[in-house]
Amino acid sequence: MEDSSKFERYVYKNASVYHYMKISLVLEKENRNISDAQFKQLIISGVKDLYGEIGASFPFDLLKFDPKELTGILRVYNSGLVKLWSALTLLGSYQNEACAFRVTQVSPFLLALSGNSRELQFGDRAQVALRR
Amino acid sequence: MVRFKSRYLLCELCVSEPSSLHLFEDKVVYQALRGAVNRAHGDYGAAIFNITLGVLVKYLNAHTGVVLIRCRKAHYRLVWSSLPFITFLENRGQKVRCFFNCIHVGGTIRTSQKFLIKYNRQQLQRMLLDCKTDAEKQDVRKAILSCSLNLIKGEETDGSDDDGDEEDT
Repeated sequence: MEDSSKFERYVYKNASVYHYMKISLVLEKENRNISDAQFKQLIISGVKDLYGEIGASFPFDLLKFDPKELTGILRVYNSGLVKLWSALTLLGSYQNEACAFRVTQVSPFLLALSGNSRELQFGDRAQVALRR
Repeated sequence: MVRFKSRYLLCELCVSEPSSLHLFEDKVVYQALRGAVNRAHGDYGAAIFNITLGVLVKYLNAHTGVVLIRCRKAHYRLVWSSLPFITFLENRGQKVRCFFNCIHVGGTIRTSQKFLIKYNRQQLQRMLLDCKTDAEKQDVRKAILSCSLNLIKGEETDGSDDDGDEEDT
């Protein structure tokens, strides 16, 4: 009974004004050096192609970028999420080279992106199995 | 019954020289509109432009510069917002600087026409103030009188009243 009292559950009724997206860029040729500015420019040009100058006029930020893995975390207002996501999906080339964006995770909370349940490793169980 | 609902944008074409209005055709306006929507709203806008019952120039009056554009009700904002970005129209190699002044957004052609008649009547009264010579004043007064008389008489002579308006403006 004591254990159950330790368990706390948080329910957010009013979700955040932002959405955070964890995305990765897949290029045809693996070894390419892309800076963070180029990465964001690629996304902006994609949004502009699909939604034009007026449609692309919503703010979004590249919070974190890993040039080795070509992954990044985007922060966008809820109103622009659908536009950004669809533009990422339809983006198909970078400097005449086929590319694709993979959206790994989307969440209204940045903390949720720190752990991915799909890559979860059961450390304790693995140790227990080793001992036996 | 299910039907496609439309919005009708009633616009005024403003040019510096009224004589250049005769160059315009509905095809020219359509092309300019398509270019503007494409630039302002990208591929998404272009797709909405080309769907069934997308955008169509329903009516263009080369004398008064009145344009009626039909578009889907759900997406009329896309066309509406790209109207200010048209700065010139091009016909047979001739560029004419102009801008669109959207004066009414209506649900049917009927309401748009009604508004246009009312609007032109108001314009006549504004013209009276700008008149320089007495002859001009007399003409405008006569025009105002004719359309106000029709208003009192009723709806039968509505058509002739409309024509009278447009010749004067």
